[in-house]
Amino acid sequence: MITTRAKLLVVDDDADFRAAMTTILESASYEVVTAANIEEATQRILAERPDLILLDIMMDSLFDGYSLCHAIRNEDKFAAVRTTPIIFVSAVRRIAGSRFGFKSEDQGLIGPDDYIDKPVDPKDLLARIEKYLAK
Amino acid sequence: MTENAPLILIIDDEEAMRDSCAQILVRNRWRAETAEDGASGLAKIRDLRPDVVILDLKMPGLSGFDVLRSLAEIDSRIVAIVITGYATIDSAVEAMKAGAFDFLPKPFTPEELRIVLGRALDRRRLTLETEALKREKKALEEHFITMVSHQLRSPLVAIQQYFEVILAGIAGEPDARWMDMIRKAGERVRGLLGLINDWLDLSRIDQGRLLGQFRPVDPAALLGRLIEFLSPSARAAGVTLEWSAAPPRDAARITGDEESLEQVFSNILSNAIKFNRPQGKVGVRLTTEPGWVVIEIRDTGIGIPSESLPRVFDQFYQVAPREGGVRKGSGLGLSIAKKIVEAHRGRIDVASEPGVGTVFMVCLPAADAADAG
Repeated sequence: MITTRAKLLVVDDDADFRAAMTTILESASYEVVTAANIEEATQRILAERPDLILLDIMMDSLFDGYSLCHAIRNEDKFAAVRTTPIIFVSAVRRIAGSRFGFKSEDQGLIGPDDYIDKPVDPKDLLARIEKYLAK
Repeated sequence: MTENAPLILIIDDEEAMRDSCAQILVRNRWRAETAEDGASGLAKIRDLRPDVVILDLKMPGLSGFDVLRSLAEIDSRIVAIVITGYATIDSAVEAMKAGAFDFLPKPFTPEELRIVLGRALDRRRLTLETEALKREKKALEEHFITMVSHQLRSPLVAIQQYFEVILAGIAGEPDARWMDMIRKAGERVRGLLGLINDWLDLSRIDQGRLLGQFRPVDPAALLGRLIEFLSPSARAAGVTLEWSAAPPRDAARITGDEESLEQVFSNILSNAIKFNRPQGKVGVRLTTEPGWVVIEIRDTGIGIPSESLPRVFDQFYQVAPREGGVRKGSGLGLSIAKKIVEAHRGRIDVASEPGVGTVFMVCLPAADAADAG
């Protein structure tokens, strides 16, 4: 019996960051697909159905991870992949814990499953991915 | 001004004056409103927000001067023209001092009124345009700062990310000397990232953009969380963190922006841990005084020389590193902390004895029952 490893999608506009993430994830034998912008990400998600998404949330008018996440959770187009685990990745610093729109029990899923700071600690990242894939 | 014609309000107790002024205005394709006394005039100013107000000085009830003063409080961008049959130099000067833009003695011709109104409307247009330009400038500056900091951050983050991959051994078995150099290079990058974040904070706080909305904050809970968060690094540095709150702990309440206050105490505490001696201590104490919440952070660190003490909150002030090591941090942390505390109408003070330790004291106004409600 062949056990296939999960497929992970890395969405980030920085090519070096995508390369570093790919190295980390492939070292743990994951299959990695990448996207450099929202359009590509949308195509990848619908075509490849990744098991988990790492999503950069740098805010500018061209790259809005928040709205992609919101779309995945709410739009009909993404219905088949609505509950895909999403981890936000961001360069914006947080101190002790971050205030963030996670799940809201009464409203159902409204956002990401987790949040991780850049630069990413490889061990921390892999541990979290393991956790969400196990669910 | 909207696409509509300018709106001009005439406040005069003489009906004939109101009517003839209104006629002149309408003939010039301006919109006219009238009021027969100061009180109803002010009510119309509040409701209609005219562009210009023509105001008689001597009226029964509220005088023109009373109206001028109230007008300044309601909206200082509205232009006031004073008219009066008792025209003297003194009353003209007084009117201008009270905020009138121009002064027209009665009787006046339609042409004279038209010229004065023309100037008043120009003034009004300029005022509104300046305001709009200032807003636009501010928005552009904010956008610029955000863009620049993003441009500066991204490459640094990418560099640091590669370092993390190498240090984690994922890119092959690392050579010990390479690891050491990469670790050090990573620290320099971290320092740069810290500097960019601090610079961003500093420019935001200057623009009044750093602080979120003020809400009730529980300082005991905030400090407790921070101490828990910093315990690992304190342990790693061999420093003991002590936390005490004079009872009743629950009574201390302040109103403010929790995230930026976290930043203040996080900064002071990290410094206290960092600049401490082995087996040193950092004591955090929360007390209340009438009207104030006082947080004291005391360390057994190297201390600050008395000549440097007054400069501790200056931008870029940094203690000289030990053994000629590399300066960590941006030196902006305390200056940001001071601005945040002052934005909360609080005070921050420091006392120190070199070789013994340092005490930081942050005083924040206690939330009134009214504030917290």
